[in-house]
Amino acid sequence: MNFQAKQLVVAIISLFFLASLLTVGYIESERLLPEKKAKAVVTQKNLSCMKCHEEKSPAVVAQWKDSRHATLGVGCMDCHEAKKGDPDAWEHEESIVAVIPTPKDCARCHEQQVKEFDASTHARAAKSIGELDSFRGVAAGMSEAIGGCQKCHGNKVKKLKDGRLHPATWPNTGIGRINLDGSKGNCASCHSRHQFSVAQARQPESCAKCHTGIVHPQVESYDDSKHGLIYQMRSGEMNLKSQKWVAGKDYSAAPTCATCHMSATKSLPVTHDVGLRVSRALHPVVSTKHKKSDRKRKNMLSACGACHGPDYVKAFFSQADSVLDSYNSKFAAPAEKIMAALKKEGKITPEPFDDKIEWVFFELWHGEGRNPQKVARNFKFDFLGEAERLSPGISGRFVKSQGAEKQAQQAHERDHTDGESGPVTH
Amino acid sequence: MSEKITAWINERIPFDWGSLKHSLDEPIPRHMHKWWFCLGGTPLYLFMIQMLSGIALTFYYVPHPDKAYESVRYITQEAPFGWWVRGVHRWSGELMVVAVILHMIRVFFTNAYRKPRELNWLVGMLLLVTIFTFGFSGYSLIYNQLSYWATVVGTNITASIPVVGEFAAGFLRGGPVISANTLTRMYVLHVGLLPVAAVALIAFHLFLLRLHGVSDAEGATEENSGEESKRFFPFFPDHLMTELAIGVFLIFLISQLAIIFPVHLGDPANPGITPEHIKPEWYFYPVFRFLKLFSFQTGIISLLVIVSTMFAWPWIDAAIERRFPGRDISIYVGIAASLMMIMLILIEGLSGQVAFVSLIIGVAVFIVSAMFILKGLLKK
Repeated sequence: MNFQAKQLVVAIISLFFLASLLTVGYIESERLLPEKKAKAVVTQKNLSCMKCHEEKSPAVVAQWKDSRHATLGVGCMDCHEAKKGDPDAWEHEESIVAVIPTPKDCARCHEQQVKEFDASTHARAAKSIGELDSFRGVAAGMSEAIGGCQKCHGNKVKKLKDGRLHPATWPNTGIGRINLDGSKGNCASCHSRHQFSVAQARQPESCAKCHTGIVHPQVESYDDSKHGLIYQMRSGEMNLKSQKWVAGKDYSAAPTCATCHMSATKSLPVTHDVGLRVSRALHPVVSTKHKKSDRKRKNMLSACGACHGPDYVKAFFSQADSVLDSYNSKFAAPAEKIMAALKKEGKITPEPFDDKIEWVFFELWHGEGRNPQKVARNFKFDFLGEAERLSPGISGRFVKSQGAEKQAQQAHERDHTDGESGPVTH
Repeated sequence: MSEKITAWINERIPFDWGSLKHSLDEPIPRHMHKWWFCLGGTPLYLFMIQMLSGIALTFYYVPHPDKAYESVRYITQEAPFGWWVRGVHRWSGELMVVAVILHMIRVFFTNAYRKPRELNWLVGMLLLVTIFTFGFSGYSLIYNQLSYWATVVGTNITASIPVVGEFAAGFLRGGPVISANTLTRMYVLHVGLLPVAAVALIAFHLFLLRLHGVSDAEGATEENSGEESKRFFPFFPDHLMTELAIGVFLIFLISQLAIIFPVHLGDPANPGITPEHIKPEWYFYPVFRFLKLFSFQTGIISLLVIVSTMFAWPWIDAAIERRFPGRDISIYVGIAASLMMIMLILIEGLSGQVAFVSLIIGVAVFIVSAMFILKGLLKK
């Protein structure tokens, strides 16, 4: 072959190489399109699970195939695998599996997240209703507790003799569920199985599964707040799948629950301990400050800082604190005092929840009390009336005259016209 | 202006640039016009591709047992063009082994290792060992099930080498078992020691080649006979263009392979679960199968004998040639060795599949006849 011919060969092959590079560029650009999904990787040990479940529960497999787990080859047995003798072990089609993968299983890969979650109030949610709501549960019947409180708070999962899960304790998707292996919590509460989406957990609708209703009306407060309104208008612009999802950097449309309570800020890392930025405890009768509340308030200020200046945020929290303090001094503390006085005077028994007023009181602080707009009216009409019936004259010690009642009425009206209830309950 | 710049450079770097031009005028024997004889440049090209793609991969790779697999996954699935760079690195590695073996076969059957080029055969053998070590250490870095267990088997084989085995395996593993130390060592070997060794050996290989000149192909004497000016053609630009064509074709081929056969991830390494089938890379099949044929110690010792024979072949061949002049015994040895190697690869690759036995026999018959035809052609 002469020199010219060789040159021609080089030129032709170079063109081919160029075409190859263009193909690479095309594949790369296609791959980066957000709607293009990476292929699910089914590893050897999950092949037989897939084969059967694609027939029996195709949607579960399809959800998994849409997950990030699938693209990484993290499949059925990576989470469901159990060893003989494990408290949650169950023999299923010649394999030993656990029906419920617990935070302990998730921690094999997500150690940090589980550690943070374990330190949070969420992890203690089932335990806390054991202390608080059990009377209501017993009084109303277990079915109400199972279908009510435990749905969100979680329960204690139990096993039947044949290894299957006790039907009264499973299914349960409560966030503080006490699992068979002793671990607390349920990651799928927010990252629904079998997609385990991060984007889903970042949406307020996810939290609204539980943080709703008269006893914990956070999502109602949020929905009616400026934050919630903007979210409703701009929910399509949230860039929810972004890896770090820092407000002001990866998105700026609106804040969700996760934005302020969990996500990374300019100065704070992402956390699964939802209490790290909450300075006041709203669940007791008289709301208190959490331990290290200054630190926690400061943490929250860092989250607010993505959109608001420091003076604005400080003033906002002082307004919110004053509403709580006002509620405490006008309603919560006096009501607690009335209950103590009734008990002392022998008007009610030392047994809990056997007197009607104990239920009224419970509804007041646990229900209405968490919604100060209503509490003023209820305190006046329901609670004082009930207390007066049991111990005539007792209300006079707390609401001395018509003037005081008027004051209460004014307070009610002021609270009502303030509009945003967000700072109080949310 | 350009003169000024030239003068400036010449003053700072007082080097006779003309000598560089002169060195490019290396006379190349006429038989090198045939593409088949240009296999020596191929591994050099591939080595350069390996260096560039390898550097790109080290930007993301983390040599730690907890993070290695994840970083490879990141490269393959998330890093921009990572899948392609990894594919190129992997495929040029595979082709490197093929190219080196073909180059060796060419050198062997054209007797290009004979006096005075014995030393260059030795350097070439060292390069072969270097490349296999590259392959082994690189494979172990992926840290998936197959690569982890290949490392386990590989270091166990090393451990059974008489006298030095235990020490060598312990040194490779950085302890009695595979651990974080092993990965660090494999990494240092793969991106530090071996590249330096390879560059030095390649430089010495080329240096010796230039000192001796390209050997006249035996059997191609007709083409290479006649006057000096007709027997040779210049390296620059004629031969360089041939090499360039091969180089461009290679990068095209590798890029296509990376697209059509992308590299997979496999399951992450799990020291607790031994996979059902442990298999090394295909180029280790002959060794792997060979060891299965005998008891472990016998296998290792006979392997060492074979490798030593390969290293010492120029001198062994000279001794045979003195004893039986003109019988071309080396050709038969070469055919037998190549056949054995191919058979072992096929048997290991298709082990247990009876249907392929006929294929193996067919391929063997084809190769034998091809070898004889080649020999006949070279003789003519």
